[in-house]
Amino acid sequence: MRRKASLLSALMAAQRKRLVILAILSLGLGAALITQAVLLAEVVQRVFVEGDTLGGVAAALGYLLLVMAIRVLLIYASGRTGLSMAATAKQIMRSRLLARLTGSSLAGALAGQAGGKISVALDAVDESDSYFSQYMPKMIEALFIPVLLLISLFILHPNSGLIVLFTAPFIPLFMVLVGLSTKRKSEEKYEQLAQFSGIFLDSLQGLVSLKLFGWTKRQEERIERSSLNYRDATMGILRIAFTNTFMLEAIVMMGIGVVALELALQLVVFKTLTFHTALLVLLLAPEFYNLLKNTGTAFHSGRTSMGAIRKVEEMLETVEDDPQHETSDAMDALARKQLEQQLAEGPPLIELQDVCFEYEHFKLDTGRLTIHPGEQVAVVGRSGSGKTTLLHLLSGLLTPASGEVVIQHQPLALLGEELWFRHIGYITQHPYIFAGTFADNIALGAGRAVSREEIVAATDAAGLTELVSELEHGYDTEIGDGGRGLSGGERQRLALARAFLKQPSVLLFDEPTVGLDVQTEKILQRSISELARKATVITVAHRLYTIRHADRILYMEKGQVADSGTHEELLARLPQYAELVTAQREGGLSSRS
Amino acid sequence: MSILGGFIAGIAGVVLFATSGYLISQTVFAPPLYTLIVLTSLVKVLGFVRAASRYGERLYSHRATFSLLSRLRVTYFSKLVPLVPGLLNRTRSGELLARIVGDIESLQFYFLRVAYPPIMVVMVFLATVIFTSAFSIWIALLLVLGMLLTAFVVPGIVLAGRSKIHERVRSQRAAFSAEAAELLYGFRDLKLYNQLTKRGDRLRQMSEELTDSQRQEASGLLRGQSLHVFVTFLIYWGVLVLGSYLIMQGSLAGVFLAMLVMATNTVFEEAAPMAILPAYKQDSEYAARRLQQSIPPGQNLSSSEEVLGKMTPDAPSIKLAGVSYQYKDEWRPVLSDISLELPAGSKTAIVGPSGSGKTTILELLLKLHIPTAGSISLNNISVKAVDEADIWRHTNVVLQQGHFFRGTVRANMLAGQEHCDDSALSVALQRAQLQGLELDAPVLEKGENLSDGEKQRLALARVMLRSGKLWLLDEPTSSLDYVTERLVLKQIFEQAAADTLIMISHRLAGLEVMDKIVVMDRGRVVEQGTYDELMNGKGYFYEMKQIELQLLAEIEAS
Repeated sequence: MRRKASLLSALMAAQRKRLVILAILSLGLGAALITQAVLLAEVVQRVFVEGDTLGGVAAALGYLLLVMAIRVLLIYASGRTGLSMAATAKQIMRSRLLARLTGSSLAGALAGQAGGKISVALDAVDESDSYFSQYMPKMIEALFIPVLLLISLFILHPNSGLIVLFTAPFIPLFMVLVGLSTKRKSEEKYEQLAQFSGIFLDSLQGLVSLKLFGWTKRQEERIERSSLNYRDATMGILRIAFTNTFMLEAIVMMGIGVVALELALQLVVFKTLTFHTALLVLLLAPEFYNLLKNTGTAFHSGRTSMGAIRKVEEMLETVEDDPQHETSDAMDALARKQLEQQLAEGPPLIELQDVCFEYEHFKLDTGRLTIHPGEQVAVVGRSGSGKTTLLHLLSGLLTPASGEVVIQHQPLALLGEELWFRHIGYITQHPYIFAGTFADNIALGAGRAVSREEIVAATDAAGLTELVSELEHGYDTEIGDGGRGLSGGERQRLALARAFLKQPSVLLFDEPTVGLDVQTEKILQRSISELARKATVITVAHRLYTIRHADRILYMEKGQVADSGTHEELLARLPQYAELVTAQREGGLSSRS
Repeated sequence: MSILGGFIAGIAGVVLFATSGYLISQTVFAPPLYTLIVLTSLVKVLGFVRAASRYGERLYSHRATFSLLSRLRVTYFSKLVPLVPGLLNRTRSGELLARIVGDIESLQFYFLRVAYPPIMVVMVFLATVIFTSAFSIWIALLLVLGMLLTAFVVPGIVLAGRSKIHERVRSQRAAFSAEAAELLYGFRDLKLYNQLTKRGDRLRQMSEELTDSQRQEASGLLRGQSLHVFVTFLIYWGVLVLGSYLIMQGSLAGVFLAMLVMATNTVFEEAAPMAILPAYKQDSEYAARRLQQSIPPGQNLSSSEEVLGKMTPDAPSIKLAGVSYQYKDEWRPVLSDISLELPAGSKTAIVGPSGSGKTTILELLLKLHIPTAGSISLNNISVKAVDEADIWRHTNVVLQQGHFFRGTVRANMLAGQEHCDDSALSVALQRAQLQGLELDAPVLEKGENLSDGEKQRLALARVMLRSGKLWLLDEPTSSLDYVTERLVLKQIFEQAAADTLIMISHRLAGLEVMDKIVVMDRGRVVEQGTYDELMNGKGYFYEMKQIELQLLAEIEAS
């Protein structure tokens, strides 16, 4: 709760000047409002009661027009200020969110649904708009103008002032009642409501099945029934809201009616009031009520926006920072230069010194582990034993909770991720294809400007030339989201092409768990061994072939490297390993296998 | 009904203020007390009439809107029925569906905030104009002018200025969303390629531009609102000037001046929703347009050919000749030149890497799509000439994504054929290795409360109740362990002993029992034959088999 105040107050603190402007504008607006009523009453009084000529009231009419124009300008200016406030606040929130997202660690970025995060950065931020553009200006107006009006009423005619003063508190009271009762009711019915609205989406998603089983007619009835139920449930909530607004309006009407009646009595029976004052009071009283009503509406939208701001805040809190970011320049220049050169020349020595990582109920501890330059390492283990986490730690995508990854005798944390990333390649099981041309997607691997020839060579090495010839614009065809779709095997080969272009000195490879098409499988085998000639390759292996060709196998169990050695060694001394590599996929129908 | 309510409310408000103005003016000439009493009670009654009719208006307009929405959903659903699965082949079909749902929801604003306020405003104004014309035709004309300005001209101006910027905001929002999605989904790759900072900066810049455009857009609306207020004031002022002039001319009794002025004031209050109408109008129209576009026109599957053929209750033979199929928005065909002959009662497996077009063959057999080229026949009758509902009735289908709806296990199994009794259902469950599941057990939307394996077995149990002689099974056991898989498939093959069966299989092991294996790659049939033929041929299937042998079994850590 304390934090909640902090984001809002931080946003408001940046805008203190605008708040002052809003306050001044509100005062002006109140003054204009009253002046307008005074002038209007004046004109009516002179024309009607005193029988003045049009020329006689010309000045007053002129002023009236002027005041009206000023009032419009003030409304506009106040609105503009609100909009500027909203724009600044939104900008601040979005940059903070973005800074958090780009600065977050891998675990943070992958936790939760991406769709939800985007919706926070877009929709929730936009929803918060009305807090600054509507709610704040209205609240400031509500702070000043009603007070001004009340003062004028008391000066003009204390009785009316009293009537207004006593009826006015009912308005916020009813607003609160409306809010509370609808909230309770809607919470009661929330599940029901969600269910109703879910049925439609559910029906659309299951449409193929529904069709094949001949249920569409039945489903139509279900949709209609649920929609109507939804309507009735919603109407139940709305009816409360409407009843309350009915009461509210009745109170306002009563208030104005009583004011009018009292004025009339004063005028006629007691003759203590002039027509001018009476009319003026009658003009001012509704303005007062209107303002209160508007404030109520603004209050409602303010509450929704506040919820949105809370969402933004929650996300700012949950996405954790990556501690490695700040320490990147801590190495002295000479050592750095040396290391850069060594990395450029060939594969480095990699040491893991008791690297630990914890995630929910899972704990990984590598102990001491050395990977020599140019070594071919296969990591095997049951699913959930920490193989992929190990790759993430080696790549620097995850920062260890304790212990260190050491590259050429320098801790990775000191090395800085920028330099390290420049020399490693990481082929994941599901390589991401970015929206852009085919060439751009491959060039991404290099991290530098590359010539078309290089791209063509990489494409060829990854066996994608045939695909390119099928694309209508060749290398310049848009792929990825919104472009041409690629199959799983083609994506895998595109990732290979990126690696060929980059020529990393350390290649991390998360081998696909399922079989790809025959062509891709062959290309993968061939390409990895080609890349391995100039690089250390660490593979999370799912294929016997890979294991047999590795210099060393790390067998992982429950987050620890249980044993390491060649295939034959492990086969001989580690029964779990033997079980893992000999358990073949059996078929369900098989009667002779 | 709601329009009537709103109308009464508006008019009551206008009359209320007019009367109170008149009341005060009357008092100057000290009328008899009874006039005063009548007038004040009128004021009060009107106040309640106004509030009450406002209540009625809201109730009815919302009710009407929700009823309309429900009709809209049903109509839209029935329009979509003939279009699937063609509509849903896109990768982001989930988003499309969610969008359809959202768009229909947002149409409620069209009824409440766009279609309905102008009618109200015009009616209230007209009544006021008639009322005022009894006093002065000129003031009435002035009000008509005011009405035209506030109800049509001002929103028109705002709308004209808005459409361009609105379009820009929309495209900027979409671009931001797409870019943010790339950043999150591609986070790992971007980070590894040292692109994250660059992309982050780009996104920040996009956010700035978006915020700026949004502010401009809101400013436009604000200008409209201010203009509306200004016009209101101007008319108000005009009424005052004109009234004063008329009084001096002697053609209007002075008593009415205050009344007319206050009536003007109130009548414009009713027009306030008109100022924000453009915003809602654009959004709802956009939603409506998108809904329209979601239904591609002219995609009628029931071809013009006369539907003559009927599925016979015997096991059908299947023949595909030169069949190709390409989805509308895909760049290459999913199937090219497929020719297959499957005799009645045969058992066929289709294998191949993901994306090779296996599922599409089943969909074409079910007449969910019409081939772009080539022909398909069942029992030597072209599928084109058979009513698709007839095919579905005689086919036992298990899709990869079976649909389950909220209800009991029994209801989910029964749907479609109500003639089964509980014992038959229990037997089916047992044969699908789901002995543990009670018939009365609840099933949530999409079977959320069931595991993947349970869903697959329930789908198989459901299909075992059917009496079709054609079985089309799409990876029906991919989430089951080997032992269970073997037990379930054994049951299916026993029941289907005399039937024609096509099964897409994710595993190659165990396919020895199939009469024929069709091997697919990139939309083509690369090989077909029995297990032994294919293995001896040492072709594509053999190589797939070698890869499968190389693959380590995924074993869960214990």
